[in-house]
Amino acid sequence: MSTVRALRKEDPVTVDRGGEEPAPVTPTAAPPEVASAVHNAALLWLRGNGISMLLWLISIGMLLGIWYIGTKYKLEFYIRFTNVPTPGEVLQKLSHVNESGKFLLNIGISVRRILIGFSIAVVLGATLGLLIGRYRVARDLLFPICEVLRPIPAIAWVPMAIMLWPTNEVSIVFITFLGSFFPILINTIHGVHSIDPVLIRAARCLGASEFRLFANVILPGAMPHIFTGFSVGMGVACVSLIAAEMISGQFGVGYFTWEAYSLVSYAEIGLGMITIGVLGLVCSGVIQVIGKLLMPWSSYANAGKK
Amino acid sequence: MSEHCRGAIDITDLGVVFNAGSNVVQAVSSVTMDVKSGEFVSLIGPSGCGKSTLLNIVAGFVQPTSGSALVDGAAIRGPGSDRGVVFQQYSLFPWLTVRKNVEFGLKMKGVPVAQRVPQARTLLGLAGLLAFENHYPDQLSGGMKQRVGIVRALATSPQMLLMDEPFGALDAQTRVVMQEILTNMWQQFRISVLFITHDIEESIFLSDKIYVMTARPGRIKAEIKVPLLRPRTPEMTYTPAFIGLVQQLKALIREESLAAMGAELKDGGLTGFGMEIGPQGIEKVV
Repeated sequence: MSTVRALRKEDPVTVDRGGEEPAPVTPTAAPPEVASAVHNAALLWLRGNGISMLLWLISIGMLLGIWYIGTKYKLEFYIRFTNVPTPGEVLQKLSHVNESGKFLLNIGISVRRILIGFSIAVVLGATLGLLIGRYRVARDLLFPICEVLRPIPAIAWVPMAIMLWPTNEVSIVFITFLGSFFPILINTIHGVHSIDPVLIRAARCLGASEFRLFANVILPGAMPHIFTGFSVGMGVACVSLIAAEMISGQFGVGYFTWEAYSLVSYAEIGLGMITIGVLGLVCSGVIQVIGKLLMPWSSYANAGKK
Repeated sequence: MSEHCRGAIDITDLGVVFNAGSNVVQAVSSVTMDVKSGEFVSLIGPSGCGKSTLLNIVAGFVQPTSGSALVDGAAIRGPGSDRGVVFQQYSLFPWLTVRKNVEFGLKMKGVPVAQRVPQARTLLGLAGLLAFENHYPDQLSGGMKQRVGIVRALATSPQMLLMDEPFGALDAQTRVVMQEILTNMWQQFRISVLFITHDIEESIFLSDKIYVMTARPGRIKAEIKVPLLRPRTPEMTYTPAFIGLVQQLKALIREESLAAMGAELKDGGLTGFGMEIGPQGIEKVV
């Protein structure tokens, strides 16, 4: 028992002598000090980020300003603003299209296509990536196919997809899937290869069988790269979806935008574009949030980055 | 937790040859050594002498080319949780909290959560890490990470600990404290330890027995018993007995380090600079 006591006594000494402080723990302020602490924190944050925020506003403001001035005075200097809708017109259109519900339907259909195509890509891409990354047989058997198909952009598949699949709807989902599949696959393979071999050795010494190693070390170890693949894949999926909708679609935001052009409804073009942008932003934001929730440790691993 | 008569290592006339392409490297040659049950044994020698190779054989990562390596009389078949390994590099799983890292081996054994959580917490308490059970490894200092590594290796109740320069990456002060913590924990668990280091004081302070290895190919040059009493305290490092051992080991190691560097020079390392290794150390060749 004496050794236990010696250990406990020793411990704070360890921290002092070694000069090793643990990374800061979440501070817990006493109730009366909370208000002033929050106030101070807000001030500090503002001091640190105030200039940043100001610059952000200026940046966005410049973009809107150029758009506004260009369209208001119908500027023409090689670039022609003559037919471009003004910000006001686009905003007005937004309240208009909401009346019929068709606009929302288009968004819903695009979102559904992305969800289905991307989900299949997540399951297939991550699974195949883990297998190809870990096992030589899988690599030799499957990777050549991937390498041959990978350089073909998803959009180039549009005519073939229309022939391959029974309906237009399925072929658009297929294009979306293709767009996100390869980034997810490649990043997952890279993730498996980037796992520190000492972690695999450690797991083996702790009695991990191959199956348990796969589930408990390979998968979580590759997770940060897998999520990089999700982010990139989602971006490409959006691009592919819009292109596919413009070419072969009925419904969807891409179709909406292209149809607006055909119908000479210029304000709707602007609205469609902005919607596509917001859609992409939301999709990648969702992936980032899920990634943060699934990998709470990652924020500490990157503590060195500013 | 002590298992008497278990955790013995017997290595007889062991040799390891690595084939690196066309290069055939004799890493270890005719090594005979043993670790008795509950004994703390250090392996010390110049870098590249095959210390880690020996440990990797016992751990089950490397197969011997000749001779035999037995654990409790049986041949070693791959890595397993009966032999806990602490690596020089921090090898904690960054995606698991400190406690879940410690639980890992128990989880692999199929121990239910209700049992493994209290077990992990008890061990963390012994190492003074209970307050950090929910931290992630990247939130800890180097010394704390290595303590978690030791606790994790102990969690599956192994018969022995294999430690490959576990404190090599730590600063001098942290190292000294870690050595004390390790001897204290070792006295509690009474399991065998095979400890690799290039730090002479460290090997004396911790061990019952020290094997000094020669430069490549690694052979056992000397076996030195450490007669110091237990429990060991930092004050012991000032006693004549301790200092005598340090001098004896330094002389042995110096010879081998010079021999090792000499071999590197012959391979074309420094010869271009007109240097050579002689009995007096590095000499200028005129």
